[in-house]
Amino acid sequence: MSRNERASNELTLANDNPASRVQIQTRSRPKQQREKMAASVCRAGGSAGRALLRARASSLLSLKKSQSTASYAQTLQNIPETQVSTLENGLRVASEDSAHPTCTVGVWIGAGSRYENEKNNGAGYFLEHLAFKGTKKRPQAALEQEIESIGAHLNSYTSREQTAIYIKALSKDLPKAVEILADVVQNVSLEDSQIEKERSVLLREMEEIDANLEEVAFDYLHATAYQGTPLGRTVIGPSQNAKTLTRADLLEYMNLHYKAPRMVLAAAGGVDHKELASLAQRHFGGVSFQYEGDAVPVLTHCRFTGSAIQYRNDDLPLAHIAVAVEGPGWNNSDNVALLVANSLIGNYDCTYGGGKNLSSSLARTSAEFNLCQSYQTFNIRYSDTGLFGIHFVTDKHSIEDMLHVAQAEWMHLCTGVTDSEVNRAKIALKTALVAQLDGTTPVCEDIGRGVLNYGHRISLKEWNDKIDALDAKKVREVCMKYIYDKCPAVSAVGPVEQLPDYNRIRSAMFWLRF
Amino acid sequence: MPEVANHSAPEVFWRINSRGSLRGQAAGLVMAAAGMSRVREWSRIRRFGLAGFRQYSHGTSNANIPLSSPLPGVPKPIFATVDGQEKFETKVTTLENGLRVASQNKFGQFCTVGILINSGSRHEAKYPSGISHFLEKLAFSSTAQFGSKDEILLTLEKHGGICDCQTSRDTTMYAVSADAKGFDTVVSLLADVVLQPRLSEEEIEMTRMAVRFELEDLNMRPDPEPLLTEMIHAAAFRENTVGLPRYCPLENIDKIDQKVLHSYLQNYFTPSRMVLAGVGIEHEQLLECAKKYLLGVNPVWGTGSLQDIDRSVAQYTGGIVKIEKDMSDVSLGPTPIPELTHLMIGLESCSFLEEDFIPFAVLNMMMGGGGSFSAGGPGKGMFTRLYLNVLNRHHWMYNATSYHHSYEDTGLLCIHASADPRQVREMVEIITREFTLMAGAVGEVELERAKTQLKSMLMMNLESRPVIFEDVGRQVLATGGRKLPDELCNLISLVTSNDIARVATKMLRNKPAVAALGDLSELPDYEHIQAALSSRDGRLPRTYRLFR
Repeated sequence: MSRNERASNELTLANDNPASRVQIQTRSRPKQQREKMAASVCRAGGSAGRALLRARASSLLSLKKSQSTASYAQTLQNIPETQVSTLENGLRVASEDSAHPTCTVGVWIGAGSRYENEKNNGAGYFLEHLAFKGTKKRPQAALEQEIESIGAHLNSYTSREQTAIYIKALSKDLPKAVEILADVVQNVSLEDSQIEKERSVLLREMEEIDANLEEVAFDYLHATAYQGTPLGRTVIGPSQNAKTLTRADLLEYMNLHYKAPRMVLAAAGGVDHKELASLAQRHFGGVSFQYEGDAVPVLTHCRFTGSAIQYRNDDLPLAHIAVAVEGPGWNNSDNVALLVANSLIGNYDCTYGGGKNLSSSLARTSAEFNLCQSYQTFNIRYSDTGLFGIHFVTDKHSIEDMLHVAQAEWMHLCTGVTDSEVNRAKIALKTALVAQLDGTTPVCEDIGRGVLNYGHRISLKEWNDKIDALDAKKVREVCMKYIYDKCPAVSAVGPVEQLPDYNRIRSAMFWLRF
Repeated sequence: MPEVANHSAPEVFWRINSRGSLRGQAAGLVMAAAGMSRVREWSRIRRFGLAGFRQYSHGTSNANIPLSSPLPGVPKPIFATVDGQEKFETKVTTLENGLRVASQNKFGQFCTVGILINSGSRHEAKYPSGISHFLEKLAFSSTAQFGSKDEILLTLEKHGGICDCQTSRDTTMYAVSADAKGFDTVVSLLADVVLQPRLSEEEIEMTRMAVRFELEDLNMRPDPEPLLTEMIHAAAFRENTVGLPRYCPLENIDKIDQKVLHSYLQNYFTPSRMVLAGVGIEHEQLLECAKKYLLGVNPVWGTGSLQDIDRSVAQYTGGIVKIEKDMSDVSLGPTPIPELTHLMIGLESCSFLEEDFIPFAVLNMMMGGGGSFSAGGPGKGMFTRLYLNVLNRHHWMYNATSYHHSYEDTGLLCIHASADPRQVREMVEIITREFTLMAGAVGEVELERAKTQLKSMLMMNLESRPVIFEDVGRQVLATGGRKLPDELCNLISLVTSNDIARVATKMLRNKPAVAALGDLSELPDYEHIQAALSSRDGRLPRTYRLFR
């Protein structure tokens, strides 16, 4: 699956996935923050495009000031501004107004399974499930009916560091959407009967996650790379916790983490920022910003351990392998170069046309020698650390070869990548970033994540500048820093007898001669 | 390998299923995603040494600024605002040769431009079926200008472009999404792809393989929807127009060659049957390009006199198409899928040109439905009839979804249901009952909800550029103009419960079309299904004889 699709899965296809009948709930899986940047990045679009187009008089887009005074760089940003304001309690409100008849509005919260401990692991996910089960004001049926009746969609997801709940609706229903969101976030009813009912749903969902080997491979990867730290746990938690977590546990989690300064109310579409801000003031103004006894939860650094984990089962048809080195956290500027590196390696699926003509050399090799069913690169980022790597699916006889060429590609990145290769990757990356922001939901998500992670939304123009500033030398430098001669974390599931010994994998992380 | 382009961008209004909105978004992204896979053929650049390609800046000085702080030295941006005066406006111009050019502007730097042609499997009456399927797979192969598909993709890559071709029963659509500054190249490329394909023997041979592969895949995949759709069309419009196979029949694969294709193209790929549509682009510019590249062009198949143009109007026949198949192990992954029998029952609705189209669309929305194991929060249609009356009450039903297909001269409203083979009879009765209930009382609340959901679905789909493109293109192709979303919304608002009952009653007078797939030992006779649909309560006739 390609990167775009992955990132979007969570958003759009969520409703299409099979889950339980009882459940009627979003499939907010512990999807890692894989390639969140790709989803989060875009805006403004292409590059010199609009500047070259004149005669815009009759367009529905117009620049605020006369065009003649705008510089080249300024005209690049031919999309509406993202406005940000902050409520008194610290909650940030951010929106982009495109005057579209529909909008997406959501709350992004800086809380996730990383804030949990062994005992309450899964609480955030459990809580998110219960958000759909009604509030103190709205019983479940009323909530569902209200949303369906305005033709809206309610969705949510939880990851290791973030929780999001969002509504897609007609723009005229924005006030109602914000009100419902506020209700769901602040007044979730948490009735005991629902909690009991939800346990079985969670257990069923765990079974489903187990059936998805890719998901398993990534959970294993976290478990080994971050062993002994909160990041090593899964979002959904162990089944023991699903059976034993109590209302008090959930309340405690909510009281500890659902704090105004850690929330962003983001919106995109036909949304007037002033209106949104006043709605936010009315409905979210009461969210607390104080911690009991001033005990602000502080994230401890999660240690990365180069190590391997494998689960061999020869009955499975295909092996899922993920290999990653430690990448930088969200804020690090090296991410740009790493994204370019990933874009250079590309991704591949045997159903792609193109075969040995694919532009990425790894995809080409994979196709030509039939080395794998598919591979994808990832750059999962957390606040202080990250996983940069590649995940591939292959049959049991090609594991060693595929791993070999993938690692060789990494070595090539570190030692010999050329400007022309980097240029192609830069174009591909920019295109991916632009193409992603089609529709209000991706834009809204970009805003929510951006404001939460970076404190502001990084415009596409800015991404473009950052990407343009790179050349092969810089990419090599950054890759050297993160990949070369580093201990990788490896996870393997399926018929993985052929997976080389860890020391051999480790010794392919450097070249004695290049 | 098959061409990547068989994913479908959603057809906004023409073929809505109740989960349309979700599909819509997904498809848009799929299009973008597929594009990622098409940036390729790097070696060619090296070989020809494109010097101009090696531009890069050395401005690494700002590379170490954390992402949370803005870049210094970037001028304060002037953002675009919505001025509110220019609403979404679609401009249409007809060129001297009959080609229509339609455009619509939109925020952003990307444009989607494409050519839609009034040609699809329904036009293959006098040709071997499967030509459109072949053309879809052959799209964006070598042309007069470009030596191979890779050259085309290489050209597009420079503008970050992706390309795609889809054919349906009535339309062929070539589309490219790219940076707006490259639109001139894009239009020239499109013109070349559509009018000057080389259709070399080698490419056709590759296509034969791809088509074979796709047919195989179609029969193997666990989701039977494409196959069922094909079957129900064949049953509803027996051997005519939209009932003709959309996928190339196995026996025709070797019959189709360059000569057949050229003869078909000569008749159907004519300017008067085409629309050049663009979204995110100025109308004047598009028009200029159209004149430059599409006016007075001599297509590779020459401009002989037109003959054999199929103008037949769809004849609804009703009937049944059955495929007995062992579906006990269709799962491709580790999770087993229970054995299911799939059933689709359809009735003729109306064309999208008729006024009744809107009530039918509302009716379809009101029926809604989906999979019983589908996840998703409120918003997936939990209060539609197929959920409330069918899935919530009969937990053994695996799926019940309503679909509405609409064409320029006819339409088909159908319900897809699946369950364990032993319960097929019961399932049939439940579905026929739902059909008969359509003509009964319609609650004000459910009607309002369906109308609102239809409107929001329409608007949400139209958030994304490829969808707008397709909507503009199809509407202009069919009507010469475009009904704006607002107008459609107004029409939706006007639908009353009487309209629903009226169109449903009219629909129920017809013979049903039935498609059945899987273990059919418990499937009732076609005549019984027909009797059930024309009865008051939708019940199958009871027979008590032991030896039937």
